[in-house]
Amino acid sequence: MSQKLSNRRITSGLHSAWNTMRQPLIATILGLLVGAVVILACGKNPLSVYAEMFDKSFLKSYYLFSTLTRATPIILCAMATAIAWRAGYINIGVEGQMIIGAFAATVSALFIPGSPILIAIISFIIGMVAGALYALLPAVLTWKFRVSMVICTLMLDYVASYITSYFVTYPLKDVSGDGLALQTAQLDPGMWLPRLTPKNTLHFGFIIAILVVVFMVFITKKTVFGYESKMSGFNPSFARYGGTKQVKVMMITMALSGAIASLAGTVEIFGLKYRYADSMFTSTSYAWTGLMAALIANLNPVGMFFVSIFLAGLQIGGSAIQRSLGIPLEISTIIQCCITLFVSVKLVFNFIKKRKAKSTAAEKGGEKA
Amino acid sequence: MLLEMKHITKEYGTLRANDDVDLSLREGEILAVVGENGAGKSTLMKILYGLEKPTEGDIYINGELQKFRSPHDAMAKKIGMVQQHFMLLQPCTVAENIVYGHEPKKSGIFFDRKRAAAITKELCEKYGLSIDPSLIVSNCPVGLQQRVEILKVLYQDASIIIFDEPSAVLTPQEVGELLKTIKKLASMGKSIIIITHKLSEVMEVADRVMVMRQGKRIKEMAKSETSIEELSFLMVGRHIVERKIPPQETTGTVLDVQDLVLSGSDKKNILDHFSIHVDAGEIVGIAGVSGNGQSELIECITGLTQITSGDILICGKTIVGKTVGERRTAGCACIPEDRYLWGCAKQATLTETSIMAHQREPAISRYGILNTKGIQKFTSGLLERYDVRSGGLSQKTGELSGGNLQKMIVAREIELNSNLLIAAEPTRGVDIGAMEFIHSRLLDKRAKGDAVLLISSELTEIMTLSDRIYVIYDGKVAGEFRKQDATEESLGILMMGGESNEPKAV
Repeated sequence: MSQKLSNRRITSGLHSAWNTMRQPLIATILGLLVGAVVILACGKNPLSVYAEMFDKSFLKSYYLFSTLTRATPIILCAMATAIAWRAGYINIGVEGQMIIGAFAATVSALFIPGSPILIAIISFIIGMVAGALYALLPAVLTWKFRVSMVICTLMLDYVASYITSYFVTYPLKDVSGDGLALQTAQLDPGMWLPRLTPKNTLHFGFIIAILVVVFMVFITKKTVFGYESKMSGFNPSFARYGGTKQVKVMMITMALSGAIASLAGTVEIFGLKYRYADSMFTSTSYAWTGLMAALIANLNPVGMFFVSIFLAGLQIGGSAIQRSLGIPLEISTIIQCCITLFVSVKLVFNFIKKRKAKSTAAEKGGEKA
Repeated sequence: MLLEMKHITKEYGTLRANDDVDLSLREGEILAVVGENGAGKSTLMKILYGLEKPTEGDIYINGELQKFRSPHDAMAKKIGMVQQHFMLLQPCTVAENIVYGHEPKKSGIFFDRKRAAAITKELCEKYGLSIDPSLIVSNCPVGLQQRVEILKVLYQDASIIIFDEPSAVLTPQEVGELLKTIKKLASMGKSIIIITHKLSEVMEVADRVMVMRQGKRIKEMAKSETSIEELSFLMVGRHIVERKIPPQETTGTVLDVQDLVLSGSDKKNILDHFSIHVDAGEIVGIAGVSGNGQSELIECITGLTQITSGDILICGKTIVGKTVGERRTAGCACIPEDRYLWGCAKQATLTETSIMAHQREPAISRYGILNTKGIQKFTSGLLERYDVRSGGLSQKTGELSGGNLQKMIVAREIELNSNLLIAAEPTRGVDIGAMEFIHSRLLDKRAKGDAVLLISSELTEIMTLSDRIYVIYDGKVAGEFRKQDATEESLGILMMGGESNEPKAV
């Protein structure tokens, strides 16, 4: 009896795992197929190109470490996106929060005197607070003035980008070198995040990313806050009826989202670049890759972790084949976008279904009134 | 035989929704398929309409084997379905909705609006249904919207028409109209299958009745050979005994609504100096045609809407200005009137739905950390004690049948052990078995000495359960009755806005 029961539990577990993984897997295969067509059009053999790409992103240790380095901010951006999205708050301003947070952390690290390690820690915290505040701004606007959060967060991306642009162009520009680059001075090496391997770029930020994933799993699965925010995302009326304080949920999720977004930028600076440079996050589009990872993995923390690494691998592999085979780097962008597109087909379906259900419910309510 | 379904079996995982079911339909006949929620009626109809594929079994039309891959195939064989939840384009006109999918065209390209309206008129005349083709659907009451659905099916020239719980969303008058329409359609040669669990309707329209229980066909007979009693026995599998409610002393006021005003957008008060009270150990019913302020009253008490003036007290303490959560802690539980809008999240698992409003109890969480084992124990306890038939704790809430979901919501709210329980339409759209069960739980609550405020548009429900009855009309208390003084007539007059002949009772 209990044997049977546990068997059933295992099959049902497998079943649900398959259900959550099915859509991303199919989308990935389709995305790779579209990529194959493009490679064929370039006159190359897709199989050998994919083999090369895979080899130079995951199989060779040097490339694998590069992939993981690149994945670090992407993972964090995905988490930042997901924590807000699952509560129903479509924060697409992760990029802006990341810029403001990381910039604040860098400035703190440059100007606050004290022992490097202590200052590094303080800077991280200041960065997170700045990112959180910058995410709370659209939350307050949504709450008080019913501004669309999507538009508001998106616009604030540009605000963040141009504000920091001003600072690195004028007051905080590094004049020690040739003075051409729009960037701040370099951080004190004592503040740099340690490397995980001596020969590669992979730094301690990756561990921080893993810790954030664990934190996310904990929040989503094990806390009342995670439960209430999830229910708010599913059906805000239900959550409200059940006594959830929705404004509080919105403020906390947005603050957490902004804080995690800021971490994404801060680890990139303290672990890899050691300074804030103009458009360093917009040109790499970490936030948007993270958003894609969140979409593809359907906001599942562990899923987002692996998808982020996969997408980072595509980018690393993509630049490798550009160098060795002369295939444009854009191939990885094409694949990445196709996968997201194929996954979002389902999302849109769900969204339409929800809207329909909502409108019929509203009609029912309406005809009573 | 026009239609035959033979040995239909449908499995969802380990659940057998249909188990070797046979169904046959003659031309011009009305067949009623009755059964409790989750008995497999809807599944069977989905199979017939091509929405689901049977695991086993065949469908024959005029003796010819059919393979339906989609509703499109079924429609091609002149099978039409009037859905329970209407599939209408809300911003479009009646005519546009009716011809949608097979629009008349000018020069083969342009949509011919005039022709569409003419077609609608023709259809209306032919079948004796009246509707203005130029009305916008979203402005039509539910009864008319359903008529549009019916006309749509007729426009597609269906000869077999399936009605899925057609009366669930209608007012009594609209139900009368609908039943007339159904009879008329049958007399004109249409063959009709009607799915329902309202037995009085069955007895009024059906020629034959097929009873389903737990996915099986239990019995089939001519209507003339059966009775409501027999059908309800067959549906539930046991006799429904008439309830005897012992009288009970009340102790102290639990809910006290004093001079409550809720103003609407157009200066007219939705709730107008509304005063009621509910004592410990009694069930108080609010009778009224829906839309007279009942929904708003619930929202004011639960805290979903802020009141304009007046006072609401629970156990002597005012709850005005308190949040929903604080009111729940103060002792206010609520079975919401719309279970999908307020009562659950369809994508959530059963555990997630069941712990709502319990999430801060020590058995569920401590210091904000959820106790997974405690939650599982809590939910499986609820499912077991309240007889919720489900596919396990991780099943999605939206997959539960309506009656089972309702039982689960009732369970969740009763288990809050609050002083006050608001039960709004607690048995809307549920079958006899579940209804009886839910009524028993409400009476248990009363027996425990708690207060129950029952709001229902089913007058029989109000009259059976309540110790005291208020009639609500146009946001005001139109009358108050003790159980023994209330008659359907006296309540009915007040519900329609009439004046009572007698001086107000009590």
